[in-house]
Amino acid sequence: MNWVRIRKDSIKINGTTLPTNHCGMEMLKEVYKQLIGGYPKFFKMDALCRLGFIASELLLQQESPRITDTERRAVILFNRSSSLCDDRSYQTTIQDTEKFFPSPAVFVYTLPNIVTGEISIRNKYYGETLFCVLDKFNANEIFQVVKESFLDSMTNDVITGWVDCESDDDFEASMILVGPNDPDFNPDFINEIYKHN
Amino acid sequence: MDNLQDILKQQIIDALNLEEIEIGDIDNDAPLFGEGLGLDSIDALELIVLLERNYGIKIKDPALGKEIFKSVNVLYDYVSKNRTK
Amino acid sequence: MIEKIADNITSPLGMDTAANYEAVLKGYSCLKLHKCKWDIPEPFMASLFEDGAINDNFAAMGGDVSLYSRFEQLCILSIAEALNQAPQVDISSDRTALVLSTTKGNVEALDIGYCGSGNEYLGESAQKIADYFGFTTTPLVVSNACISGLCAQIVAMRSLENGRYDTMIVVGADVQSRFIVTGFQSFKALSQEQCKPFDINRQGLNLGEAAATVIYRRTDNENHDCWQAVRGAIRNDANHISGPSRTGEGSYRAMRAVLKGIELKEIGLVNVHGTSTPYNDEMEAIALGRIGLNHAPINTLKGYYGHTMGAAGVLETVLSMRALDDGIVLATRGHEQCGTSVPVNVSAQHRNTNAKSFVKLLSGFGGCNAAMLFKKGGET
Repeated sequence: MNWVRIRKDSIKINGTTLPTNHCGMEMLKEVYKQLIGGYPKFFKMDALCRLGFIASELLLQQESPRITDTERRAVILFNRSSSLCDDRSYQTTIQDTEKFFPSPAVFVYTLPNIVTGEISIRNKYYGETLFCVLDKFNANEIFQVVKESFLDSMTNDVITGWVDCESDDDFEASMILVGPNDPDFNPDFINEIYKHN
Repeated sequence: MDNLQDILKQQIIDALNLEEIEIGDIDNDAPLFGEGLGLDSIDALELIVLLERNYGIKIKDPALGKEIFKSVNVLYDYVSKNRTK
Repeated sequence: MIEKIADNITSPLGMDTAANYEAVLKGYSCLKLHKCKWDIPEPFMASLFEDGAINDNFAAMGGDVSLYSRFEQLCILSIAEALNQAPQVDISSDRTALVLSTTKGNVEALDIGYCGSGNEYLGESAQKIADYFGFTTTPLVVSNACISGLCAQIVAMRSLENGRYDTMIVVGADVQSRFIVTGFQSFKALSQEQCKPFDINRQGLNLGEAAATVIYRRTDNENHDCWQAVRGAIRNDANHISGPSRTGEGSYRAMRAVLKGIELKEIGLVNVHGTSTPYNDEMEAIALGRIGLNHAPINTLKGYYGHTMGAAGVLETVLSMRALDDGIVLATRGHEQCGTSVPVNVSAQHRNTNAKSFVKLLSGFGGCNAAMLFKKGGET
């Protein structure tokens, strides 16, 4: 099973470190420019979406041929801080009654599930998209919710994982693409990737 | 930067996070929406905020935005005539 | 089978499902124009609790108002009233779990002037609510924009079907704030008048606050007096993060999934999202047309409550069940003349029906759409 692990200062794909020269948001931009490109919407995304987008792109680059335009793939992501990073940005546009300029481009990202939408738009996935928030990382809960998502007979596989963004420079993501019968798909594996250094 | 067209272009680039676009890439008469810069409905709403913040222009009806944001030159004319700051 | 054993609606119209149903039958709404509220320069039309109402009710229940935020108190009030109807539920069992549907929880805590006791982490709120009742399992928060209330029910259904839990308590709630209202204003999505769902003159939505709870359990014996959650599906438009699909793609696909193998004539009601924005209602009409349900009776409850966000999916499900129990398709308050390119079967009057099954629809930012099929035991 392919997996991607992103921390604020490192990226691993299936256990191999991806060489990068920067940290935080600059690292995500570097990866976008070096390995992805051609998708200017990336620069409009908030930090959570950029993180989820980069993780999904790196994960899907492992897939050959890359599947698009399908209802059979779901995107189900989890985190702790919801869309708080962007919520704080939006709050600064309304905090001051003198300088009160609420920004629609910031507000639209004040929902955590937008990242699942960005991944669906990029890949033309018409399947299920779901975002869940937990008090803390919980491999068993993630495993159970994803396992149960296969009760929808349309769903063949799921892009899932933990995509958490406290700020532009403090984030973590671990992402996998799983089918219902993948032998590695279990709470231990989800935990192992999350803790991978 | 001394002319308002270029200032507007830079403000659009900054407000809409057009990171890979430079002032020279935007033609004064080219349509801002549709193909060109790939702007969408959220960008149009954000440009309305830009006009209010930087030029004191309030636009209540988003449909009016469609007219004003046709091109940099159309926007330039509108801002020149209606700015309050 | 997954059957509903208890429910609650806590809204400005009343503190339980019966009170809400009575108020809606009479055509009441708490939508009103708020001027200068929360220092928001532009007036806004919304259905809000009276100042102090949540606090007073929570205190009357014996709750310690200093420990819980307004949002958390609202959730607790709703769950507690639903649990009163279901004394058989063993909250502390490892076979019982809580799912919280919300979009913004305590987001008002981000304001520098905030003096409540909430913090902005949704998972912490859910844990506080779970601890209040003594749940021993991990509470899950579903935060999937405006479709959260159906997603939470779908997630709960699956856990029951899978046998992970025997009883699931699903609460949906959101409170309004300067944060949410100004955001929707910046999107030019709000109408300063009472909303006009599917109307030719519809101009936008109204916001509302509410909580609603539904308690489901798995059973092998069909109970003819109980509502069943039959099937649910979530699908994406894969088109745009805020604009609804012009072809109703995700909504159509979600309906197609839940209606597989079902005769369309058996569907007595489609309770749609019906926010009253020009784009949403048009999109839903197109999706209904594509699936062939544009002639079925449809309604939306936004004209009574506004858009209650994380509560909407649960509240609108519960009220639709209550009305069908009474043989009624509730009126679409605020609607006058159909104004969608595909005409739909919507009415400003309550209508009689014998139907015992309905579809609930929602759509939201992020291109997400959800549909659920419900029926009363033994029929359809």
